[in-house]
Amino acid sequence: MAYPGYGAPPGGFPAGMQQDPLYGYFSAVAGQDGQITADELQACLTQSGISGTYKPFSLETCRLMINMLDRDMSGTMGFNEFRDLWQALNGWKGTFVSFDRDQSGTIEGQELQQAIRTLGYNLSPQAMNCIMMRYSNHGKIPFDDFVSCSVKLRALTDQFRRRDTNQSGGALFQYDDFIQVTMSV
Amino acid sequence: MAYHSPYRAPPHINAPPDQSFLWNIFQRVDKDRSGVISDSELQQALSNGTWTPFNPVTVRSIISMFDRENKGGVNFNEFAGVWKYITDWQNIFRTYDRDNSGFIDKNELKQALTGFGYRLSDQFYGTLIDKFDRQRKGQVAFDDFIQCCIVLQRLTDVFRRYDTDQDGWIQVSYEQYLSMVFNVV
Repeated sequence: MAYPGYGAPPGGFPAGMQQDPLYGYFSAVAGQDGQITADELQACLTQSGISGTYKPFSLETCRLMINMLDRDMSGTMGFNEFRDLWQALNGWKGTFVSFDRDQSGTIEGQELQQAIRTLGYNLSPQAMNCIMMRYSNHGKIPFDDFVSCSVKLRALTDQFRRRDTNQSGGALFQYDDFIQVTMSV
Repeated sequence: MAYHSPYRAPPHINAPPDQSFLWNIFQRVDKDRSGVISDSELQQALSNGTWTPFNPVTVRSIISMFDRENKGGVNFNEFAGVWKYITDWQNIFRTYDRDNSGFIDKNELKQALTGFGYRLSDQFYGTLIDKFDRQRKGQVAFDDFIQCCIVLQRLTDVFRRYDTDQDGWIQVSYEQYLSMVFNVV
């Protein structure tokens, strides 16, 4: 079974971390340990202006972003992960912008479905319904919520894939594992 | 290898309250005298010990648990259930808040959830605190503690529905997994 991609645009970063503008944003908030918390990530992303004209990310969304890439469950993110996140965010933003044609800062319920399909997720109507119920606020989804949804989809897909050892599209979950994996997202 | 059913307060842990006692409380909480206690009325009546409003998500969960008519509030009959539910949680919270700080820290949370029958890794308790602690104190207040337990319970319920042979393992497809989880987290 083919798993969806992350919709990130191709293209690398300039060689040499010092010239990397991303490193500038990151190191401005990171401490000596080179790791950032959700609060620091929020400050960092707001500084970078990646949200453009959209409202900056909520703390909750930043927490989700950290968890998505947090292999050691430390609750913090290093620079390499931050770079991965940046790529993903640009991809998601691009998708969102293409659907927010009236530049209202929100997309409609139907557009959310299409956007999710654009990201490569081919979900059943039931799964789509669950997502819609969770994110649609009177039929409208703002950018922050869209990113939150995309982060969760990616994190859950990663978790599922790790348990689908023979790529059959089905996975085995033991109860304790299920609880922890699902709550960590 | 069956998993325990998480703790439910044994019946009559307190003597069932006097009807007129309950009625007095109900009238005080039902400020607009509509005969139904709304989300906001319940929220105003509850304290989480932090001088900030009680978690509205938790209020909604509690009301919907006891609102048998989907009216968005609870009448006097249903309120008895709400009162008992909250009183039970107060007792549990007091039991596990061993240092009487008014907050449950990571260790106390571990004691509580282990007591309820959950078997979770040490690191995961940190994840839980991070996820539910709205006060950003690194510990959970009364309302956030309830919210954490409610979500754990919901996940357990959803797992049980799929665990038809009750052996603590489920086999699910990618689609099923997403549908199960997006409803809850």
